[in-house]
Amino acid sequence: MFRLIKTLNRIALIKATVAALLVIVVVFAGSRNLQNYDAALIGYLFGTVFAVFGIAYRYSVWLQRPPTRLYWRRSWEFLLSKDFVPYATRSLKLFFRNILFQRFIYPRGKTRWIGHFLLATGCLIAFAVTIPLTFGWIHFTLDPDSDTTYIANFFGFPVSTFQLGSPMAFAAFHALVWCSVLVTIGAVMMMKRRMTNGGLIATQTFDGDWLPLILLIAISVTGLGISYDYTFLQGRTHQFMAVIHAITVILFLIWMPFGKFFHIFQRLAQLGANIYKVEGSRRGMAKCPHTQQEFASQTHINDLKDVTKDLGFDFTLEDGRSHLDFSPEGKRSALAKAHFQARKEGGHFFG
Amino acid sequence: MAKLPVSVDKLIQDFGPHKNYTPKDGFEGTHEPDKLVKTHCCFCGMQCGIQLKVKDNTIAGFEPWMEFPFNEGRLCPKGVQRYLQNNHPDRIMEPLQRVEGKGFEPIDWDTAMGRTVDEIKRIQGKYGNDAFAMLSGVSLTNEKSYMIGKFARVALKTANLDYNGRLCMVSAGAGNKKAFGLDRISNSWADLKHAEVIIIAGTNVSETFPTLTHYIWQARDNGAKLIVVDPRVTPIARTADLHLPVKPGTDSALFGAILKILVDNDWLDHDFIENHTSGFDQAIDAVKDFDLDWAEAKTGVPQEKIMQAATMWGKAKTSFLLHARGIEHHTKGVDNVLSCINIVLATGRIGKPYCGYGTITGQGNGQGGREHGHKCDQLPGNRDITNPEHRKYIADVWGIEESEMPGKGLSAYELVEAIHRGEVKGLITICFNPLVSLPNNNFVREALEKLEYFVAIDFFLNETARHADVILASSLHEEEEGTVTTAEGRVVKINAAITPPNNARRDGEIIMDLAKRLGAGDKFNYENSEAIFNELRVASKGGTADYFGITYEKIEKNMGVFWPCPSEDHPGTPRLWEDKKFRTPDGKAHFNPVPWKESSEVVDKEYPVVLTTGRVVSQYLSGTQTRRIGKLVDQYPEPLLEIHPKLAYHYGIKERELVKVVTRRGEAEFPAQLVETIREDTVFIPYHWGGKQSANQLTIGTLDPISKIPEFKVCACKLVPTKKWAGPANESPAYQSF
Amino acid sequence: MPNTKYDQQMEFFVDMQRCIGCHACEMACAECETNGQESMIHIHYVDRASTVQTTVQVCMHCEDPACANVCPADAITKDEFGVVHTANSSRCIGCSNCVLACPFGVPQKQEQAELMMKCNMCYDRTSAGKKPMCATVCPSQALFYGTREEIQKMRPNSTPVKKFVFGQQEVNTKVNIMMPKGSTELKIH
Repeated sequence: MFRLIKTLNRIALIKATVAALLVIVVVFAGSRNLQNYDAALIGYLFGTVFAVFGIAYRYSVWLQRPPTRLYWRRSWEFLLSKDFVPYATRSLKLFFRNILFQRFIYPRGKTRWIGHFLLATGCLIAFAVTIPLTFGWIHFTLDPDSDTTYIANFFGFPVSTFQLGSPMAFAAFHALVWCSVLVTIGAVMMMKRRMTNGGLIATQTFDGDWLPLILLIAISVTGLGISYDYTFLQGRTHQFMAVIHAITVILFLIWMPFGKFFHIFQRLAQLGANIYKVEGSRRGMAKCPHTQQEFASQTHINDLKDVTKDLGFDFTLEDGRSHLDFSPEGKRSALAKAHFQARKEGGHFFG
Repeated sequence: MAKLPVSVDKLIQDFGPHKNYTPKDGFEGTHEPDKLVKTHCCFCGMQCGIQLKVKDNTIAGFEPWMEFPFNEGRLCPKGVQRYLQNNHPDRIMEPLQRVEGKGFEPIDWDTAMGRTVDEIKRIQGKYGNDAFAMLSGVSLTNEKSYMIGKFARVALKTANLDYNGRLCMVSAGAGNKKAFGLDRISNSWADLKHAEVIIIAGTNVSETFPTLTHYIWQARDNGAKLIVVDPRVTPIARTADLHLPVKPGTDSALFGAILKILVDNDWLDHDFIENHTSGFDQAIDAVKDFDLDWAEAKTGVPQEKIMQAATMWGKAKTSFLLHARGIEHHTKGVDNVLSCINIVLATGRIGKPYCGYGTITGQGNGQGGREHGHKCDQLPGNRDITNPEHRKYIADVWGIEESEMPGKGLSAYELVEAIHRGEVKGLITICFNPLVSLPNNNFVREALEKLEYFVAIDFFLNETARHADVILASSLHEEEEGTVTTAEGRVVKINAAITPPNNARRDGEIIMDLAKRLGAGDKFNYENSEAIFNELRVASKGGTADYFGITYEKIEKNMGVFWPCPSEDHPGTPRLWEDKKFRTPDGKAHFNPVPWKESSEVVDKEYPVVLTTGRVVSQYLSGTQTRRIGKLVDQYPEPLLEIHPKLAYHYGIKERELVKVVTRRGEAEFPAQLVETIREDTVFIPYHWGGKQSANQLTIGTLDPISKIPEFKVCACKLVPTKKWAGPANESPAYQSF
Repeated sequence: MPNTKYDQQMEFFVDMQRCIGCHACEMACAECETNGQESMIHIHYVDRASTVQTTVQVCMHCEDPACANVCPADAITKDEFGVVHTANSSRCIGCSNCVLACPFGVPQKQEQAELMMKCNMCYDRTSAGKKPMCATVCPSQALFYGTREEIQKMRPNSTPVKKFVFGQQEVNTKVNIMMPKGSTELKIH
């Protein structure tokens, strides 16, 4: 955001191009040179390739910022150390807890967590279903020996079979319907918050906060439309439903690198921040010269001194110490004391 | 019968105190309330304006009221959190009765009232009318204060009615009546802003009247010098131009010495003294030996500082002197007040712009409540219950024979003593928690346990009400309309925002119903609060506290009216005495001689340390309301023993060590807080808590002979370190008072 | 931000020597609807053993905020009025960089929620043309919100300062601290 990212970034461009090409490669590999590819999904594929390009570009630019780079570097350094096993286990646990279940939202508000969890779960399952389909990794074929048995193929290899009309089949073919329901409920809950909570009303923006929810609902509703058409209208409006759904999804994909949805990818950094904190406190804590209390890891303080210097700040004091050696309370007290002193020298504590 | 029905733990479990917090997203409707109701804070004599947000007949939050002239939106932490009394899990929603071994069980109103009336009749029939007493409080509106005064005399027919103002500013009231013949601060706060020198004595303004701070700061911005008299460096004293760390109980020595310096240097207003005062010679004669050496030895204040204060005061052209409980809570409380008044009169700085003097009334309606009748010796309009003319006038207003009106009763603490002696057998309380707020409260508990019948009117089950036989579920401040009179003498309007929940009833309705059942229904036929006020106006007419010209409409239009206001076309009186016509019999302001006197208990070998008590900013009085509000409790969770490091060192006391504080009345343990902001010979404990951590187990029940105020501010104690350490403050259960 | 009535004539002025440590600001801060009943203002004793001096700290809304610069997640932004907003809750990863880098010790980490929160000058109120909660209720007016003319008239013996020196670093802010007349900066170390 600040400095450094004003111009087009060559490294990011290269990385993004590589990522986009890689997607195309895996599509070819997964669909056996497109022979298993469902041509109806090609629009989605283009959208996805664009999204991957955009996300990779933004991610790469993001990683170039000094604080992010530092966290990135430190996270891998600490993870790939002799303590790989405990840190990997910890990260895995946190991945489930905080990424898949977003438990950290719970203390921010119970309904907020429920809403977000429904919405996120719907999205994640939908991604898990649609990405392999869009990439042509999964396709279904009829068992030549039985016209009621379906075979699911992954990368062209048969992995499971199920009977047409079985509960399993019903669940699988309607997976996206369930996702749509979850997303819609979640998004409505989040919208309700945004309409009644005074704090949110004051600070929200249309493109930052409402558009994502509207898009999610649009995708869900149009997706349900396809299912509705198929189930109750014998496919009479299929063309219309399919096109309008594709438009919403492709809009979503194209917008993903730019808008709020990018946080899905940023959120992973939370795992790194956690390892950083644990390893940092193991290496020793910094003690505030004012409060005489430990307040952060010494590693963190030292790293911050470097990072702030990279960013053009210099909190070094005349005696060689740094303002950053003080805890937040120590900093506030230092200011208060300096103010008291200045008032005293001015002849009155009060003025 | 009035012992606790079950263990105190069980009572706390059922009725609290529990801490109430606002939910994370605020109470329902806080963003879009149905309405905003302009009213005032329920705490303290400043009576800051505030708007309550109302949603579906509950209080959802508050919004600052920027237009109210006194505070323009400013509030203290108690004011900000006041709305949490509403939506409170501890709220008593229906009448309760004591059931031995079980606690308190709900009963219907008819049973509760019927039983109360039967008991009143039984006790009065057996022991005489005065054997049933009433204790009231001045958090109540003028209307309720007036009605209770009338209820006790007309319906209950008892002489024994008194109120918690007895623990508040009665010394100031008595002193003011002696000196001026009228009991009110002489000027509105507006004059404070332009005074050249301000003395504040025994008033921790920054913690007890936070919103008044702005006026003092504004005065300083305008060049005022601030002199603070206090044994502790309170937040307002920290930056003061002069802080006089007076030894508790020696205020009159200090002000006497200052008076002598004024005389010696001829910093006097001879013209004023000659024409408008009396008693000057006797007053200076009483202080003729109060020289600086003597004063320093008595007060512990370095003589240069005393001289400096006297010089600043003596040479000033305009000035304001304010005091509060710090000098009033003494057996010589009235003396202390008179010693202050003497230096005001000597310099003639009263009744002029920016020249003022007064007490800062503590309770919400400390001013109005003490004028209209629930004081044992007084009738509405600040009339005297022993004065035949006054009696006749009020008897006529009330529609009774003068002979039917009971005489002067016992004051609050004397009443408790009478209960203890077995002379008073029945008690009705409203708005008073004597078990926390009276001194020597182990004695108070013994007294309560001797009562044959005790009925409490309250909205929370406070420590005293735990001993009651019947509780009448009453109303919160925001549930009944009325007026209060602020510490500056401004009559303001309390607006009802909601109605009482469930089966709770308005205080006024409860009193009227009781009166009816006692056979005085015809005298308590008020349609609404305004009808009571209109009767009060007539009752106060011609008295010193004359409200006759004040109407609800006028209050609302002008955002308050200052009494005296004798007629409807009168604008009210923000500044008194501009005409120099004092309300004493001779029309002059009276100097009063204040010879030196010791406190009732002085330190000795056995009890070598001075104990003083006071308040903290996050709590209000006995804590019935504020010990139930989560954030206020968390701000200062438990009473601490403030002690100077040197004194602590002497006893080997360490930070947060539990120290047993022992007096001749009792003992209790408090965590030590080592601070250099207190005198080396004095320790301080705030008094808002009950039970094991109640400071008032230690204080002394001796009274000022005139005002009958107890000596909360000074007694002798000894300190015993226990070598035990207090746990984390935030885990302290002190707020529950078990 | 869908601002409407943010008044750029209004400024924030702090004078800690007027503070009486009552915590009204802290209670009122929680009422700001953007805070979810958490208080963002800091009020505490400087050293209670020797003095009752308290210090009160709101976000100073720096011109070039260190917190936003050190944020690895781009969660902190400054708007066109110079208000530095609290962390965007969808982005903040709870790393505490801002907490430790802010020279005024302002941001707070909500440990459970893994979220940084800080004062946003009561954006719900200021954007509606009202005063921030803390400065509205402050009974000593150690916190004052109004115009520069107003404060100069009210407190003729003081000068508002918005430049702070921390060793080598100079920090310029939107919020003012009241200093002895004629001061141009406050040197902390």
